[in-house]
Amino acid sequence: MADELVRMERINKFFGHVQALNDVTLSVRKNEIVGLLGDNGAGKSTLIKILSGALRPDSGEIYIHGAKVKMRNATDAITRGIETIYQDSALVTQLSIARNLFLGREPLKAPRWFNRLDQRAMNGAARQLLKKVGITKDIPPTTPISALSGGERQAVAIARAMHFESELIILDEPTNNLGVEETQGVLRFVRSARDSGHSCIFIAHNIYHVFQVVNRIVVMRRGKKVADDIDPKQTTIEGVERIITGMSLVEQKG
Amino acid sequence: MRLTHLLQRLVSAPEFGPFVLLAAEILVFTVRTPVFLSASNISNVLAFTPELGMISLGMTLLMTAGEFDLSVGSVFGFAPIIMWTVYNTHTASLETGFLIAMVLAALIGFINGWMVTRLKIPSFLVTLGMLLVVRGVALYITDGFPQRTWSANSVLTNLIVGEFSLGTLRIHASVLWFVLFAAILGYVLTQSKAGNWIQAAGGNADAARARGVRVTQTKILLFILTAVISGYAGITSSIRVSAANPNSGTSYELEVIAMVVIGGTALTGGRGTIIGTVIGVLILRMMRNGIVLVGVPGLAYNIFIGAIILGMMALHSWLERRHRAGT
Repeated sequence: MADELVRMERINKFFGHVQALNDVTLSVRKNEIVGLLGDNGAGKSTLIKILSGALRPDSGEIYIHGAKVKMRNATDAITRGIETIYQDSALVTQLSIARNLFLGREPLKAPRWFNRLDQRAMNGAARQLLKKVGITKDIPPTTPISALSGGERQAVAIARAMHFESELIILDEPTNNLGVEETQGVLRFVRSARDSGHSCIFIAHNIYHVFQVVNRIVVMRRGKKVADDIDPKQTTIEGVERIITGMSLVEQKG
Repeated sequence: MRLTHLLQRLVSAPEFGPFVLLAAEILVFTVRTPVFLSASNISNVLAFTPELGMISLGMTLLMTAGEFDLSVGSVFGFAPIIMWTVYNTHTASLETGFLIAMVLAALIGFINGWMVTRLKIPSFLVTLGMLLVVRGVALYITDGFPQRTWSANSVLTNLIVGEFSLGTLRIHASVLWFVLFAAILGYVLTQSKAGNWIQAAGGNADAARARGVRVTQTKILLFILTAVISGYAGITSSIRVSAANPNSGTSYELEVIAMVVIGGTALTGGRGTIIGTVIGVLILRMMRNGIVLVGVPGLAYNIFIGAIILGMMALHSWLERRHRAGT
């Protein structure tokens, strides 16, 4: 496929004797939002951690734009345009919004030898980004993360993914612990990310949220991919639930 | 309006509490005895303050990154022993001895950092072990006897701790080094990219790592910095008091950690302040000096230090809770 952005092929991962992933193949096209569903322990998080460089697979390959790549750590993934937003936001709560946004990729003032942060550029960009992700309250970019609400923290993590022009944004349970309004903000962001040319992998326990935004649903169960091409427009929520819990197998046989 | 805003920010700064305490301390001692602010006493305080102060600066960065080092007092005693043994046995020049001592201190810091980050042993245990090893080595190679240091009066010793007069004050060069180190490390912590990494490493190491911050290297470098600056402080002290005692620096580690946390740096990492540490150093050093001057028995010193630590911790935690509730 010409418009394929990422392809994970035949990924296996063991934790001791437990096989967390069994020959899982997953592909994401450009401008596509893929919903990744599955019960606890289905292997969603393991798969995502491999794609974002946090874990290494025991076997299998990853291709980006058709070229085989090795993900040794988080930096590898980020420089290849894969940004992951974890459920706990993965922010440093003691640091300010601006310092979190640019953590690991801080802009420096010339001469670079002085290693001096360009705080004016950081704060300026942060202010713009916060507006973009829908924080209308006037929060100074020097505010520490510890002073923000759960939704505001999630928005900061999302702003970070937007700023660095990631091609693929992985959202791992982004709507957990969020209020109704904040959840709508996240879903709005996912739609606007697609409209501006990003791809997303959206992991959530809440199937209703997934149904609202994704183009395609992938289901995993016990380390295996059991469905790949579910169109949310042609399936009911109950149908997907049956696949997640494994009840559809019984039905098909019977 | 802007003035009240400025005032508010000043009061909520973590350094504000320690600053008030320092001011109160100076006030009380000055009222009780005029000797406290005399030129000779200020010279006296300025002579011994930089030595523990330098260690505290290194410890501030290390603690901000979420680790601490109990072996600083041992390295303080060990580095001058190495330098003066090399010199007194005519093995090499004083300058070479200085370099050897610094390199060995760096190696101690590296081993500390390597064991904490790679073997994932808590820094409490690693540096406790290192405290005993380094002190033991210093005692073993000297048979427990102090090393002669008065025969050398070189450019190097003058550069490190040479004396000069400023009006009626006698100042040691070590004061200038302390100010310079404080300025550099304060800049690193608050203005530089390295400082952002140090705070992130101590605040949420996993999140920092996920963003590509090299947490392990950052921590190892800070362990090296702390060990080297402790060794340098020990050499400074040995030249100033004309003796390199293998037992010197004993229990400095706890006093240094006390100075750092009194200044407002979090024991749990993520938040640190060099200005606060400088204030914390002054609070404890002036306390030691002032208590004797006003006639409190020297043995009661620890009562005051302990009370200050407890009081400041209570204040910091109260401010923290109020800060959280207010937002």
